[in-house]
Amino acid sequence: MLKVENLNKTFHTDAGDVHAVKKVSFSANHGEMVAIIGASGSGKSTLLALLGLLDAPDEGSIVVDDVELANLDSAGRTRFRSRGVGFVFQQFNLIPNLSAKENIKLALEFAHWPKEDRDARADAMLNMVGLDTTKSDRRPAKLSGGEQQRVAIARAFAAQPQLILADEPTGSLDRSTGQKIVELLRSAATQQQATVLVVTHDEKVAQKADRRLEIEDGVLRELA
Amino acid sequence: MRSVGVIAILAVAIALSISMLIARDAVSAKINSVRASTGNTITVSPKGFFGFSGGGTPLKATKIDGLLSIANVTAVQESLSEELTSTSTSLKSPTTAGSLGSQFGGPGASPSGSSTTFSIPVRVIGTNSPGNAVTGGANGGGTEKLTSGKAFSPTSKADVAIVGSSLASKNKLKVGSTFTAWKSKITVVGIFSAGSTFTDASALMPLATVQKLADASNQVTSATVVVNSINNVASVQKKVAKAVGSKADVTSTEQTVQTQLAPLNSVKTISTYTLLGAVVAAALILLLSMLMIVRERRREIGVLKALGAPNRSIIGQFISESTTFTIIGAIVGFFIGVVISSPITSALVSASSGSSTASNTGGFVRPAGGASGFTGGGSGFTPPSGSPSGGALHFGGVTNTLSQIHTSVGWTTLGFALVAAVVIAALGSTVATATIVRIRPAEVLRSE
Ligand SMILES: Nc1ncnc2c1ncn2[C@@H]1O[C@H](COP(=O)(O)OP(=O)(O)O)[C@@H](O)[C@H]1O
Ligand SMILES: [Mg+2]
Repeated sequence: MLKVENLNKTFHTDAGDVHAVKKVSFSANHGEMVAIIGASGSGKSTLLALLGLLDAPDEGSIVVDDVELANLDSAGRTRFRSRGVGFVFQQFNLIPNLSAKENIKLALEFAHWPKEDRDARADAMLNMVGLDTTKSDRRPAKLSGGEQQRVAIARAFAAQPQLILADEPTGSLDRSTGQKIVELLRSAATQQQATVLVVTHDEKVAQKADRRLEIEDGVLRELA
Repeated sequence: MRSVGVIAILAVAIALSISMLIARDAVSAKINSVRASTGNTITVSPKGFFGFSGGGTPLKATKIDGLLSIANVTAVQESLSEELTSTSTSLKSPTTAGSLGSQFGGPGASPSGSSTTFSIPVRVIGTNSPGNAVTGGANGGGTEKLTSGKAFSPTSKADVAIVGSSLASKNKLKVGSTFTAWKSKITVVGIFSAGSTFTDASALMPLATVQKLADASNQVTSATVVVNSINNVASVQKKVAKAVGSKADVTSTEQTVQTQLAPLNSVKTISTYTLLGAVVAAALILLLSMLMIVRERRREIGVLKALGAPNRSIIGQFISESTTFTIIGAIVGFFIGVVISSPITSALVSASSGSSTASNTGGFVRPAGGASGFTGGGSGFTPPSGSPSGGALHFGGVTNTLSQIHTSVGWTTLGFALVAAVVIAALGSTVATATIVRIRPAEVLRSE
């Protein structure tokens, strides 16, 4: 269960202050997929960065399964990043010199997943996302965009996080591949009982979600 | 591919610093050995005392004796060089008056030009340090040694002599033989050989004896001041010059060698600065390379952070990378450096000593075959050091050995390479670390 309250984030730049996230409050349940829609520059990525502890909010509270993230120390934040949350990026962002399977095992390593179980867990995750087993030893450059994003989803879910944050996961893919990726996220959310937030400006993608939120100039509201 | 480039540039910089280090060591060793072989002596001779007929007023023995009281002076070797002509000795010079003799005879020689009318004088050196005179220690290192008999004592006043081997054979002298000089009967107590025609044609006698017989009491024509350490030569030389006044030339081989070592010293300086420059260059290369690599992999680092990789594990990966670069670069560079150090050293040395080498050829060369007209200076075996001839002869030694500088790789060099590599790697790693820490993981959400 994710519960966000009164989240604020302002960037101080030479050109002036940018109030990127304004008093954002919402909550989401396990197994639920929530779409966040908004124009470019509306604050979607900033919100995800705050939720994934990649950046710190100026004020507000983020509670994940009864843990207030603001109260975590440095080690706690690192632990949350490796086990509490999984990211899926528009650019896939797999480690280029590691194979598909090694990418997943690296995430498991950071999550302190038992060493002897990592191999089987990585295979299971690649199976879940439907990657051809003959391709599991390929490096990202030898995989298609859709395949890379499948590996990225496998990596994000590998350590069984409560929260999955996907920032424009279909942004670099063609429409039909994008649809399959969203369906994959949808089913994985249910299967892994994770809360999945999908940032998108594609209405078709948003329609696959359980709920839709719209963000405009940093202000979030629920769409009917 | 890029890593290969980084390692290659690093190897070249390390090779340069290693070769400079080796060059520096080789040149320092050479400088030290030249200085050590220079001898810690100062020569005092009458002003203008050089050439065919000597010249200058002989030095006062009492004044010279006083030099012993100067601090750091361990001995004062005095000599009085005299010539015995056919009217004052029974000795005949083993040197025949050839064309050179006629030359000495000059226009005033017999009209017939017959060399038989011209007899070459025999040189006698009175010395208070026969041991040194014989071994040549005070005279810039000769090879004179006694072939029979023994030397007289430094303070001897006896009518004795040690004669050169060719003078001995010309006059059929053996130990115990006698000859006349200045109307006195002189007993041969020893025979020496110096391997030099000129020297072997002369005789050594006690200083006091020569002073008495040649009616030259209280006179010396040359003195060699022995200093306890080569480091004190310069200061003692100043004091000696002050003590003997303006009528004498005070020179030291140390001084001469010092000017001749100047090019070597400048090579040493060049190699020191190049060494420092190369090490700094190597450090900069690694630093910039690491900066470049980290910047290039900014996104990857951001992803690792987003995946929950602890900073230390990311830093560790880059440090091991920069250390690997440095170690491979150092190993490759070390071998290249060792290989190129020898030609680099010779090139440096020959380039900077070229001008001085040229002056060497201008020095005087003693004609072989006995040019007996020379009165010479010092104790006689070699021309006084510091004079043009002395300089030339000594420098001949220096230049000959300059080309014989041998490069070698010592443990210090290896140790230096290791320390430099570690320092360079540490620098590169620090830069990488500082950059890595500053990368914000939120940047990976940007989709440029
Ligand atoms: N690190 C930052 N420094 C300054 N301004 C930023 C930074 N990150 C985002 N912004 C600004 O915050 C606003 C929201 O950006 P972002 O969250 O990336 O929007 P979106 O993902 O919806 O396109 C934009 O105006 C952007 O320029
Ligand atoms: Mg964005």
